[in-house]
Amino acid sequence: MAEGYANDPEWANITPIELDDGSESGAMPLATIAYPDEYLEATSYLRAVMAANEMSERALKLTKDVISMNPAHYTVWIYRAKILFALDKDLTEELNWLNGVSLKYLKNYQIWHHRQVLISSQTHFPTMPPKEPDFLMEMFAQDSKNYHVWTYRHWLVRHFKLWDSPRELEDVEALIKADVRNNSAWNHRYMLRFGPRDDVPDAGMVNSGNADISPEEKGRLPVVDEDLIDAELKYAQEQILRAPENRSPWWYARGVLRAAGRGLGEWEGFVGIFVDGGGG
Amino acid sequence: MPLIIAGRHKRRVRFPAASLPPAVISTPATAQQQQQKRPGNQVPSPAKPGKSGKPSKSESSNSSTMATQQEPRPGIPALFTQPPPIRDPLVTETVELQDATLERCLEFLKGLHISQGSFNASGVPALQRDPHITYLYDSLEDYPEGFVAMDASRPWMVYWALAGLTLLGEDPTRFRERVLGTLRPMQHPTGGFGGGHGQISHLAGSYAAVLALALVGGEDAFALVDREAMWRWLGRLKQADGGFSVTEGGEEDVRGAYCAATIIALLDLPLTLPHDAKKAREAGFETLTDGLAEYLSRCQSFEGGISGSPGVEAHGAYAFCSLACLSILGPPEETIPRHMNIPLLLSWLSARQYAPEGGFSGRTNKLVDGCYSHWVGGCWPLLQSALDGKPLSSGAPTTTVGNLYSREGLDRYILSCCQSPRGGLRDKPGKSPDSYHTCYVLTGLSATQHHHYRTNTSISSSSEFASAFSWQSSPMRAVDNVYDKADRLVAFHPLFVIPHQAAANMRLWCESNPIAT
Repeated sequence: MAEGYANDPEWANITPIELDDGSESGAMPLATIAYPDEYLEATSYLRAVMAANEMSERALKLTKDVISMNPAHYTVWIYRAKILFALDKDLTEELNWLNGVSLKYLKNYQIWHHRQVLISSQTHFPTMPPKEPDFLMEMFAQDSKNYHVWTYRHWLVRHFKLWDSPRELEDVEALIKADVRNNSAWNHRYMLRFGPRDDVPDAGMVNSGNADISPEEKGRLPVVDEDLIDAELKYAQEQILRAPENRSPWWYARGVLRAAGRGLGEWEGFVGIFVDGGGG
Repeated sequence: MPLIIAGRHKRRVRFPAASLPPAVISTPATAQQQQQKRPGNQVPSPAKPGKSGKPSKSESSNSSTMATQQEPRPGIPALFTQPPPIRDPLVTETVELQDATLERCLEFLKGLHISQGSFNASGVPALQRDPHITYLYDSLEDYPEGFVAMDASRPWMVYWALAGLTLLGEDPTRFRERVLGTLRPMQHPTGGFGGGHGQISHLAGSYAAVLALALVGGEDAFALVDREAMWRWLGRLKQADGGFSVTEGGEEDVRGAYCAATIIALLDLPLTLPHDAKKAREAGFETLTDGLAEYLSRCQSFEGGISGSPGVEAHGAYAFCSLACLSILGPPEETIPRHMNIPLLLSWLSARQYAPEGGFSGRTNKLVDGCYSHWVGGCWPLLQSALDGKPLSSGAPTTTVGNLYSREGLDRYILSCCQSPRGGLRDKPGKSPDSYHTCYVLTGLSATQHHHYRTNTSISSSSEFASAFSWQSSPMRAVDNVYDKADRLVAFHPLFVIPHQAAANMRLWCESNPIAT
């Protein structure tokens, strides 16, 4: 591959489509990039095979080559996913390769949509790949608030119906224990406990997106498990006591009280201990 | 004043590769991922609160160093020069990052950093207008190969630079031919613009391309867009839950919703679903906008803010995308209260502004970042308009809820902390500038300098987007401002993030040149 495509017999029947940067219009194009030659060549072949919608092993190799030079190239990821399915490739092998790429490019997010596209295939993954939570925790060890990883993890919970999976709650608690200010972990906990389930459309709060229900009712559960509510309120209080200025558990508690249809007033005693001259 | 770049040889940009913008195609969300990370989930030893359970008063921990102790320049209120009065003893990674940021910002907020230039009586440094203009002109030229990651974001590079230059009073229309030449190969016969030639069409790239064309204006620019193909493409992106995916086969999020609504409104696209809008038709929708507001409603989280997609953490960039989309779909005093819980939203949005920094963070327990001057700052005029209610006159409303955030705080953060000494604006002190931050920090500054309101007259003759085209701006009264008159920027349309006239020109041209469908 490093030898280039033009001299590679495997690619002899392809006429590359060269980059049209607009300079033929006579006006100098804006925000141009002095691409490395290898990138220019690989993307010229990419344009050609994509134009022909070629689903082949060589095209698959080409996508990997382009990704290695520019993982932010969203087009190549979408094309790669199509080829993987068309050729019925081993998706577990693809996931293993993706793990390495994800850890190398922590800020990249095309990778996470690609992962979601692969795992959403029911035929390949009727259940969650067992190593998935371990890998996500490895990602969180690098950046415990990575928005794209959390978005993916939330999707995973919905897709495989993991709301009551002990592992989900375990991981959330470990992350909150490590940093009680990890608001992403608090959000995930709320969704595990109080998010809409099963066939109800996904939402940050139940009772959302229905024109007949006032936004005042957002987040109010139709059926309340009072024991669960009490346990979550107790958990929030314990975390507040570790660092009372931390907004995350306060807002979590507000969300829990709202879910139960209880007023903020029931926390008056607890709140009083943080106020001079207060009760508690 | 910077010279105009013509001539046969393009100048090389002088940015080091390290100042690569975070963004890539789009990005609000990724901007925050820039923060340096330390490995490990070390479990900190649990610290017990004081015996009464009360938080301890700040005794500035061991992290306190010089900047916290030095006297500030005169004219700066204590709110912006002192750490928060209460500090929890428990140190976690979040606190370490926050402490380091605060420490670094304080030196700039107090006006003590050697790079800051001249100060006014309020202790605020002047806007370094010329260096920023030069920086943005440079950012339109040739990038070294280290910028290859920006290859999928070239319409953004064009938009960010032209928008920033426009805010600074430069004339973007001189770039018309170059913009047309640059964007033409990125458009697909099947609709939309990709991030570059041969890349599949993307809503973020298409949004940036359409705004860049609006900025340079003129019939050739408006006519460049194949609006019928754009309309058909949008139909294919429309999803069964009401939202839009950003590409065919790509992810769905509220960026997609906002970019699509902006494109539909500016280009006067038909609302009827095209025939091949398979997913949307099967879901029972009849128009491109059916179910869209309901989708956004499902993105409000229990914190009150709005997430990129339903069920995820509330985030400032997505809050703007959602509120702006709702405000395009109808009058904000109707669409926002119908779909958002306003008390929760206000509570979360208010918590985005930090003291003493004065700037906004994108999420709970994250750091301030200059780009949220727009993403979060841009939410305020929309909420203000929603709370002010139906506009009754063709001028400014006589009664208004007034300031909902500290304009002074944001102005101080922008002018003291976000100006890079050699031009360009940045996330925070210690970060390199890039055109993404330069554009959105300046947009945020412009928004603090103006009162944005709607009138009872629209420039559009159609009823569908009448509200979106009824906005006006007037400068804030000078008495309360901490910046000088010379630092004033051009006003932008609060929904379309280009000048009011640029939005109006594009819309009116498209209305008078309807497409055949």
